Amino acid sequence: MIAEYGQLALTFAFCISLALAVVPLYGSFKGNQIALELGNPLAYALFFLTAFSFWALSYAFWANDFTVVYVASNSNSLLPWYYRLTAVWGGHEGSMLLWLLVLAGWTAAVALFSRSLPLQFQGRILGVMGLIAVGFYAFVLFMSNPFMLSLPYFPVDGRDLNPLLQDFGMIIHPPMLYMGYVGFAVSFAFAIAALMGGKFDSTWARWARPWTLAAWMFLTLGIMLGSWWAYAELGWGGWWFWDPVENASFMPWLVGTALIHSLAVTEKRGTFKSWTVLLAIGAFSLSLLGAFLVRSGVLVSVHSFAADPDRGLYLLAFLLVVVGGSLLLYAIRMNSVRSQARYELFSREVLLWGNNIFLLTATLVVLLGTLFPLVHKELGLGSISIGEPFFNQLFYYLVIPFSLLLGLGPWVRWKQQQVQPLLKPMSLVAIATLILALGTMAATQSIQANLALLGLLLGAWVGSSAIFELLQRLQQFGSIKQGLTKLNASHFGMTLAHIGFAVLVVGVAMTKTYSVETQVRMKAGDQVELAGYQFKLVEVYDLKGPNYSGEAAELDVSYQGDYVTHLHAEKRFYTVQRSVMTEAAVHARLSRDLYVALGESLSEDSWALSLYVKPFVRWIWLGGLLMSLGGLIALCDKRYRRRSTSVEQKDTADA
Amino acid sequence: MRKLAFFIPFVLFIGLSVFLFSGLFSDPMERESSVLNKPLPAFTLPDLQQPDNLWTAEKLKGKPYLLNVWGTWCVTCNAELAYLTELREQGVMIVGLYYQQPSDAAFGEVFNLAALQQEVALKLEQQGDPYQWNILDKDRTLIFDLGVTGAPETFLIDAKGIIRYHHIGDINPQVWQQKLAAAYQSLEE
Repeated sequence: MIAEYGQLALTFAFCISLALAVVPLYGSFKGNQIALELGNPLAYALFFLTAFSFWALSYAFWANDFTVVYVASNSNSLLPWYYRLTAVWGGHEGSMLLWLLVLAGWTAAVALFSRSLPLQFQGRILGVMGLIAVGFYAFVLFMSNPFMLSLPYFPVDGRDLNPLLQDFGMIIHPPMLYMGYVGFAVSFAFAIAALMGGKFDSTWARWARPWTLAAWMFLTLGIMLGSWWAYAELGWGGWWFWDPVENASFMPWLVGTALIHSLAVTEKRGTFKSWTVLLAIGAFSLSLLGAFLVRSGVLVSVHSFAADPDRGLYLLAFLLVVVGGSLLLYAIRMNSVRSQARYELFSREVLLWGNNIFLLTATLVVLLGTLFPLVHKELGLGSISIGEPFFNQLFYYLVIPFSLLLGLGPWVRWKQQQVQPLLKPMSLVAIATLILALGTMAATQSIQANLALLGLLLGAWVGSSAIFELLQRLQQFGSIKQGLTKLNASHFGMTLAHIGFAVLVVGVAMTKTYSVETQVRMKAGDQVELAGYQFKLVEVYDLKGPNYSGEAAELDVSYQGDYVTHLHAEKRFYTVQRSVMTEAAVHARLSRDLYVALGESLSEDSWALSLYVKPFVRWIWLGGLLMSLGGLIALCDKRYRRRSTSVEQKDTADA
Repeated sequence: MRKLAFFIPFVLFIGLSVFLFSGLFSDPMERESSVLNKPLPAFTLPDLQQPDNLWTAEKLKGKPYLLNVWGTWCVTCNAELAYLTELREQGVMIVGLYYQQPSDAAFGEVFNLAALQQEVALKLEQQGDPYQWNILDKDRTLIFDLGVTGAPETFLIDAKGIIRYHHIGDINPQVWQQKLAAAYQSLEE
């Protein structure tokens, strides 16, 4: 019965989204105050109805209501309760409902936190959010309804959740990712609202900045969790596979990163205006493109949902309307915009322009790599596949100049920078870079001229530059202590995010260069040595879980005779889905991971095992974490709140 | 000029959507084989049962035939043996290309030709023998050149030694009727 209420709430929410798409926009063009003021309550209503609907589906999972087709195909009565709840977004229909919940959440947040914006502008933002919502609600309601019932002949038990998704990473990975994807809808709505208004100053950029930062922060976190999940759960020992779906999340991230930087230029200097709008449209368009690629079956991927050409067709039509429409509006409106600001060749504007160029080139590389096989085949040129070497090679060439610029960027002033004053601090940074990079290398490996050294140098350059710049900035307030309280949060956030990038680069380069792995056949009592670590297989025994059976291996690891740790690796056979899953054992330290995956049983008493030693692999996720933490700190900047209150005061004064 | 520049993103996007649209109606799993309409790659490989007899691409010319990649270790290959034998009885010439899996010395495996010959003979006796000959590709060189992704795979090769069709997966009555029969008959004529 609860499921029917959920369906009802979803239908009402769809009606509300129709109203939200029409009423505030009507108000903004006709100057109708009442219509404009209806925007906020409509946004709240949309959120509450969607939240109720989401709760209803969650309840159906909780209560094992197998009359709901979606529950029956993605859950099982033996599934532990926490996985039953996360199974809500384990399939196409439920994940779309989560998408709606996130969209409605962002819409309500815009209504709640932007009350200080001019009512007309706010109405347009909510209207654009409403238009997007109509498309997605219709899609869920008519083409992928999670509340479909199989009455009167319903199954006694469910088909169980895909074992890959029975993992902690899966609990939080999709919500974070969707928060990011859909969050860019807000930046998009700000840009479109500005385009509708036609009057282009930098105010929209100032208002859009915190929203973009928030979306970017979630997306960073989501991608990082996805990478961690792949590492821990898939048992492949890798952390990024250039899978089409990973690429689909990486493209909006790259454009979003460019957008954050470009927004700063537009806000502070009133230039790059048309560029910033294009990026705001681009970030959300790529999120939509990602949704299309994942859910239409156009590309093959481990992540794809079941392919359905009708759904694909709908999403493509939606993509055409939203992206095509906004790009057309952009082309028509942007004709009249002129940037007045002047800047010299060596200035922060130009360096940030360089940042944008590299980030967009990277996006293009990923886009081409992902879609080229499709285009190639549709042109009748036959099938090709583009894999890791292509991406790795191109990113290798992109990261070097990008990191060099990144180390320099924060030091350079707006408008114009003289070279002379930078010579001393930059040479200090260069010296620190050499010491740090060579020192780290000497401490962990032997010194060699290789990819790892390059990565360490780039990382140390970006990192030490960020720290020195922060110290120098703090000292400008008199003393570092005073500076700590006075310097704005954005600056701390930026520094932290840049350090995060440095950490990530070091992690990638070290892992790529120094990871070692071996596939071995072992019996209980056997010992294998890898990179100085002795792995001893103590025993393998049978395992019985709630919805799986399997085998577990116990290993003792020692380093040059000293006991390091005990590892427990599992191989599970999920009885309902009839699939085998590897639960890798990982012993994590900042300087290296020990990773063991239990493979096939080769004979009565021997097993195949995969052993890995991966130096610095933690740094990859640590870097991602620092980046999103940087985003969070920047969000706390008082400016974003102070500005809005001053606008509010002005508004009331006007009234 | 400047005005037109702002239309570039729109035009690029529309161009991209055309491909996305056509992509919706083709199966991404379906790959066009890269060896199609090309001659069989050059090779010199021994016969499985008479290793002194060496087969080359040249020797096989003269009559259209099916080149069937298989192995006794491959469950699906064993399943299709019965139907392939039926095809042989209807007069279709089938040549086996034996897919030998790599022997891993670390796991104590050694390649033993006599044992393999015995195993193959036994298997064909039990399940039916569709093969005119079996070519042994011990180091999987020809299999690599043909772009084989797994067993079973079947190539339809015409009298001049040109590859006309590449089928991935097993051959059953339905696959034969829908995909291969017509092509084979047209080559026969």
